[in-house]
Amino acid sequence: MDALHILIELTLMPLVAFVVGLFMVLMMRRIAARIQRRVGPPLLQPLYDILKLYGKQTQISHGILHDIGIIMAVGVYIAAETMLPVPGMNGIADKAGLITLAYVLMVPSLGLALGVGQCANPNGSIGISRALTAMLAYDIPFVIVIFGVAWQAGGNNLVDIIALQQVDGIASWGIVQTPLLAFAGLFALHAILGKHPFEIYIAPAEIATGPMVEMGGKYLGGLFVMQCFQLYTAGVIYTSLFLGGGENWLTFLVKSFAVVAVPICIAYLFPRFRTEDVVRLVWKWPVMLGLIGIAFVKN
Amino acid sequence: MTPLDYLLLLSLLTVVIALVAGHRSMGGVWLTFTYAAQLGGLMLMAGLTNQPDVITSSLSFTILGQSLTWRYDALSWYFALITISAGLLSTMYTAGDWGEKFRADGGNLWLLHVAIALNVLSMLILLGSGDLLTLFIGWELVSWASFLLMILAGGPSIQAAIRYITYAMGGAMAILAGLALIYGHTDSFTYPAAANILHSLSTAHLWAPLLLLTLGFGVKMALLPLHLWQAAAYAHTPGPGAAFLGAISSRMGLYALIVVLIQLVGLVRVIELPVLFSFISARDVLAWVAAFTIIFPTFTALRQNDARMLLAWHGIGQGGYMLLGLVMGDALGSAGGLMHVFNHATYQAALFFSVAAVVYRTGTADLNRLGGLVARMPLSFLAMLVGIIGLAGLPPMNGFVSKWLVYRSLMLEGEPLLFVAAVVGTLGTILSVYKLIHNMFLGQLRVEHENIREAPWSMTAPMLILSVVVFVTGLMPGLVLQWIAGIQATVGLPVIDYSLGGLDSAQGSLDMLWVVGVLFAGFGIGAGLFYSGGRTHRVHQLDNYAGGHFLSADIRYHYSDNFYPGLMRLIGPLYRYSFAWLESAVQSGLGLLSLSTQGFYRRVAPANYALVTAVLVLLWVML
Repeated sequence: MDALHILIELTLMPLVAFVVGLFMVLMMRRIAARIQRRVGPPLLQPLYDILKLYGKQTQISHGILHDIGIIMAVGVYIAAETMLPVPGMNGIADKAGLITLAYVLMVPSLGLALGVGQCANPNGSIGISRALTAMLAYDIPFVIVIFGVAWQAGGNNLVDIIALQQVDGIASWGIVQTPLLAFAGLFALHAILGKHPFEIYIAPAEIATGPMVEMGGKYLGGLFVMQCFQLYTAGVIYTSLFLGGGENWLTFLVKSFAVVAVPICIAYLFPRFRTEDVVRLVWKWPVMLGLIGIAFVKN
Repeated sequence: MTPLDYLLLLSLLTVVIALVAGHRSMGGVWLTFTYAAQLGGLMLMAGLTNQPDVITSSLSFTILGQSLTWRYDALSWYFALITISAGLLSTMYTAGDWGEKFRADGGNLWLLHVAIALNVLSMLILLGSGDLLTLFIGWELVSWASFLLMILAGGPSIQAAIRYITYAMGGAMAILAGLALIYGHTDSFTYPAAANILHSLSTAHLWAPLLLLTLGFGVKMALLPLHLWQAAAYAHTPGPGAAFLGAISSRMGLYALIVVLIQLVGLVRVIELPVLFSFISARDVLAWVAAFTIIFPTFTALRQNDARMLLAWHGIGQGGYMLLGLVMGDALGSAGGLMHVFNHATYQAALFFSVAAVVYRTGTADLNRLGGLVARMPLSFLAMLVGIIGLAGLPPMNGFVSKWLVYRSLMLEGEPLLFVAAVVGTLGTILSVYKLIHNMFLGQLRVEHENIREAPWSMTAPMLILSVVVFVTGLMPGLVLQWIAGIQATVGLPVIDYSLGGLDSAQGSLDMLWVVGVLFAGFGIGAGLFYSGGRTHRVHQLDNYAGGHFLSADIRYHYSDNFYPGLMRLIGPLYRYSFAWLESAVQSGLGLLSLSTQGFYRRVAPANYALVTAVLVLLWVML
């Protein structure tokens, strides 16, 4: 593969991720609206929101680390998208692998945490404390799932994992081969997205939106962009691990959107759990199912 | 004279200079140069890492028919590199303003220099041990040298150091017993003879020396449940001393374990060796001990309110990764375990340096009495940031690569539970290090810290050097992996197939050059996006949302104590201090034993006991 080719891939993959992510945000807001019997925002509303936030006149910084935190959170997601294979483009997926991806995806949380810390607002710090606790909770089933999938595939190269699932159609999909892992993965995914009932770290009425308390203008805009990437990443990882990845762009997008839609449809039906209940819940069911699932992995 | 002789003599010279000039104001600078000379001497032997070769010392004794020899191979070289570098940077840190202040505050700077120099010398001697007897001699030297370093600050460190030496003596007795068992079989202390006999021993007979030696060396490694001494002993050592100890001291235990488990017994044998009356092997036992060493101390660290204690507890936990990788025994796992020794030394020393800089400026390491220092001490913050990313094992720092190798190995070996244990340790570390950096450097700057400045260059330079090393070896792990491959070839492990960026493998490669490159490209784009937005203006830290109230400088608006209440509400009851309880039970048990023994011969009717003994002896003689 020549340099130009890979450069094009590395540029296109985050771009695609961003655009798809925008539509995922739109879908999320439309689903929420329909559940609440509203109409929901128009097609380009997510884009308008981002442009508005970036263009605002009042942009309050609490210090250089506040800025760097946002840059890190967005930048690392941009980087992570090049490790996620999409139809026709592998980026650097075969140089990084699944474990690396899982660990790279922890860095935006750290970046955000640093930025929020600099804001010197205890509401933000409490939010981060809760978000990191939630990360401790959901990452355990998540890595169990990753272990199971990688063990099933005999390696942690995401490209191979997808290729293996496409050998035999739906019968070779991860969700058919390892249904328990797939369920545990979906559960973990829901917690990773941080939507209800797992959004105690935002809790607007209690800690004034937690990490976002001192964020406005392009800081909030950066978090909005990060959310686009987050939804896309979650959908694509799950699709790659359990739904055979994308044979072509159409099936790829359909699967990814469907994956994201599932937790979101459930989310808006719930209030939120307390932090310790999140941990208790996530350490119980998905971990148990995941471990049983690993026991059934054929290797 | 061989290069090893030069190295040992240089190290001896360093001790002499420390003794003679350690109290002078320029003493630290001279010592820094002699450590640099030692490093140069070590570099003369760098060829060791390329081929399985040995450089012997001309120094040798023959005592009671046993010849004592010292030699270096790739393994010794690697550990010596870390030892000398840790000594060099710690002394550099001490040489300037830190040492002045330490002396002004009543500390004994001369003793600190001497203790570090002695530690380096004794470790170099231990690393050169060419037979079991020199191993034991080196071991004792190291134990006493670290004891000196731990105790010299006085105050609370005395109790911690005495606790350490008690454990160390217990460990040494176990080692001595193990060596005696081996000697009983062979009448020789040489490695080949010991290896021969250990290979031919039956399972039941192998267990005794193996267990004794592992326990003895495990004390230094602070393997569970022998870990209680370490955190306090390291944390109470003065700044650079703690950095030195945290970087390398307890890894001497790992070195000795490698000699015993891999070079003498052979890892294949350990993997096969069954635990009697069960279905698990000695390897499983070691792996689980390592896994628990990862988890428990990490979550103990999470509860600490003193930055130095927090780091010291993490040091124990990280040792678990090294052992875990090593006992997996494949190319990836052992490479990860060995590489983690280097990586841990680099970021742990940087972290201790950074904390010591904060203590130097503020006078406290209490995580509830700091905050907001990033605005005043940006370089110390940077060193800590790099350090915690390394400690947490996140890309792009070097800690990630070594842990990645361990994870991959656990994955390939099909060990889901150990894998989860390793990841739980990492996640706990992320929580704990965020608390560390948040409570010290982020959040609200206290009024009394309004006017402090960055630490002087003599202190920031060593930590920045280490930060660069942490980053560069994360970007190009091949630099360290070439030494690791040399070690693996020398000690008889499968050799890792590395590249400059990490690993080339059909089952999933890692190329950190690409990963880091893409990460920084992402940062660049993120920065471009960010700065293309509207102009920002900087506000004062008190210009903050406070639910409609106005903040003033006397209001403490910082969240620090009990940082993870949600988690603690769930796992808090699990902290039962069982190990401390076990320790005190052993302690009172021993006390009772010694009291009753005393009573036996001293207090209660000695004549009767003498009579009973005499009768028994007579019976034994007659029958």
